[in-house]
Amino acid sequence: MSRKRNHILIVLLIVALMLTFTACASQTAAPAPVAEESKYPEKPITVLVGFNPGGGSDQLAQLTNPFLNKYLETPITNIYKPGATGAIAWTELAKQSKNDGYTISVTNTPMLMTNYIMNDDITYNIDELTPLVNVLTDPGVIAVGKDSPFKTYEDFAKAVEENPGTVTVGNSGTGGDDFFTTLLWEKASGLKVQMVPFQGDGPSYQAAQGGKIDASFTNLGVVYAQVQAGNVRLLATFTKERSGLVPDVPTMKELGHEVVAGSSRGYSAPKGIPDDAKAQLLEAFEKTFKDPEFLDNIAKLGQEPDILIGDDYAKYLSDNEKEFITIWDEVKDQVTK
Amino acid sequence: MDNILLGLTNVLTLINILAIIGGTCIGLFVGAMPGLSATMAIALLLPLTFGLPPATGISMLAALYLAAMYGGSIAAILIRTPGTPAAAATVLDGYPMSQKGQAGKALGVSLTASLVGGVISSIALLTVAPILGGIALKFGPVELFAVAVLGLTMIGSLSQGSPVKGLLAGVVGVMIAMVGMDAISGAPRFTFGSIQLYSGIPFVVALIGLFSIPQAIRLIEKDQQLIKPGSIKDKMLPTFKELKSMWVTMIRSGFIGIFTGLIPGTGGDTACWFGYNEAKRFSKHKEKFGTGYPEGVAAAEAANNAVVGGALIPTLALGIPGSSATAILMGGLMVHGIMPGPTLMTQYADITYTLIWALFLANFVLFGVGLLFTRVSVSVTKVPNKVLGPIIIILSVIGAFSINNNIYNVYQMLLFGLLGYLMDKIKIPSAPMIIGMILGMMLDNSFNQSLMMSQGDYFVFFKNPISATLLAIAALSILQATPLFGFIRRKVKKNQSTHMDEVG
Repeated sequence: MSRKRNHILIVLLIVALMLTFTACASQTAAPAPVAEESKYPEKPITVLVGFNPGGGSDQLAQLTNPFLNKYLETPITNIYKPGATGAIAWTELAKQSKNDGYTISVTNTPMLMTNYIMNDDITYNIDELTPLVNVLTDPGVIAVGKDSPFKTYEDFAKAVEENPGTVTVGNSGTGGDDFFTTLLWEKASGLKVQMVPFQGDGPSYQAAQGGKIDASFTNLGVVYAQVQAGNVRLLATFTKERSGLVPDVPTMKELGHEVVAGSSRGYSAPKGIPDDAKAQLLEAFEKTFKDPEFLDNIAKLGQEPDILIGDDYAKYLSDNEKEFITIWDEVKDQVTK
Repeated sequence: MDNILLGLTNVLTLINILAIIGGTCIGLFVGAMPGLSATMAIALLLPLTFGLPPATGISMLAALYLAAMYGGSIAAILIRTPGTPAAAATVLDGYPMSQKGQAGKALGVSLTASLVGGVISSIALLTVAPILGGIALKFGPVELFAVAVLGLTMIGSLSQGSPVKGLLAGVVGVMIAMVGMDAISGAPRFTFGSIQLYSGIPFVVALIGLFSIPQAIRLIEKDQQLIKPGSIKDKMLPTFKELKSMWVTMIRSGFIGIFTGLIPGTGGDTACWFGYNEAKRFSKHKEKFGTGYPEGVAAAEAANNAVVGGALIPTLALGIPGSSATAILMGGLMVHGIMPGPTLMTQYADITYTLIWALFLANFVLFGVGLLFTRVSVSVTKVPNKVLGPIIIILSVIGAFSINNNIYNVYQMLLFGLLGYLMDKIKIPSAPMIIGMILGMMLDNSFNQSLMMSQGDYFVFFKNPISATLLAIAALSILQATPLFGFIRRKVKKNQSTHMDEVG
């Protein structure tokens, strides 16, 4: 309701601004209530979002911020710095932001690592960050249109085996999560497909739905609604265990290949934030993750939480980094030729 | 069908209705001011709508677009200066009417014609949209490549003035589209080692720069003497009898507007002349046109408002803007993370239908607001240029910054502003450049994707029926600009006229 009222206010504000020919951007931050025992946090916390408002990262921030606000008792404000698939915001986080614990950022895998692995111009790396928590993982899936001749993963794998390098498989973009999922799967299965990068998840799965390409490696959250509507069929998920959302779809592990992959979103801070601040932040996150209202909101998005806290998240990032470096070294010559 | 109803219920929420009324008021005033075009107003206002939900923000901009089309006729009728280029044909009969003391009637006719034109095109949009949704999935990379090629050839043959200059601007636009990370290989192109250029040049930044800054400089260059606007003394609403006589003209102009809007790169500025000329051609009283004949006003105004709906059809269905103003609306969608194109009709159908219904509703809001506020808006035609110019520049800077909260975009915007100013001085149109930017991205990606899907076989574009047809039309469109085609056309025309002579 308050969000709705806000929107009405925004409309009125814009009208007033234009009609009177004045424009001034003013952001009124609510005064920060001072925490009583610990010194941190004594001012608002800024969340750097490296993508556009309304995107997946913003969705996570919008979902989590109210709970951080509740448990840290300080306002949490989003600042959007979209560009270079998050690299502008993450470079700022690593190189320019104060490491006082008042600036954190939504960090996505694999983009957080693949950005600098693939491009020399991007100079930050995960060693310059303090990984805080992972919140969600939108698992990778293999999706086909409802009219596709592939009824099961076996049909698909057989076709790929018989026609190496010609079955067309869409992904959300070179360097994105689906791109790397495909590479990991190719490596594990020894099969070879023709990868077709699209600009984002939507165009990729819709090309498969319309029969323009044979299949799409995409994410469960992206196609879940279409799967329920019966327009898209899933052949496999890249999850550890069968997803509660689509219990009938086998995991790649069951099908014989150890590939667990997807697109994860969490939070990181700059390197070297005060121990006190880190402890407080982690505590607030832990409380958030136990809050039934929070879990309920995540489920409403068609997502499943994938919680990793502190060092676990750091290990997850560095393991992934190693894996991506290896695989990128193997394929970069054929991709960028 | 569900989405159509969902869109309707979305529109009928307080926030969206407020947004439409707000957009209409702003559009009316902006349109009334000579020197501010609808395109520029949308470009400037766009960043301010980022905080709104996508459907609300876009509805507001669409309402503004529509209202500015009518607003432009206020200055055209009262001070003989079209408030927007789309009102240029309105001057011919509108100003003589106001000299005869019929300013109110001229405005009333203009408002009614705007309503009729707007409603016809909204209905067209509503009818066509579900069909487009159905074919949207048929458009894969191969078809989209052909669409992009067709769109590019159209800017050449249809840009006003010199086609060569239009093509030149289009090509530069395509080149600008190549800046940034290549979606296929992930390799940075023309980024000069700066990660600020990795995502390419934001489309809205270029738009604000190209459309606003040159205009602001122009306004400052020549501070025009104020022309005292005529006052409105008579009644605005036309009588039923007057309406009845203009009915056919308004409907005809409505359809002309829709079709003009459909063609990429042509907008209200072209449609108003088409509408006016056709009305004159079909009229029994040709001699009355240009002397203060209400039908002349109606013809031009119905056409330019109908453009709005028409121009949205290719924008929503294929991601090819039908006019420069819809190009900016598209930029607005992109800022909200919505890629225009086939997905708009499937994945984002709720937003799309909200927008279409908003446009429908905005026609009636405009009629009401127009009746109430036209008299007030006369005063804004008096705002001096030296005040307007700096305000535009300030709004441009705020707008460019707020896209990504990045000062770098402000510099880019100012550079585009200078480029736009230079282009303006040597009479190179900027609209084809914007279309080039949009289509360039589509062309590059769909070309690569198609070849990947066909294992490098270039004939994939000719084997597919949709793309083969579109490419054939594109080839015709190019040929039509060559001397060969001109020769054939002259010959045909000659035959026709001799034939007519025989009959006559």
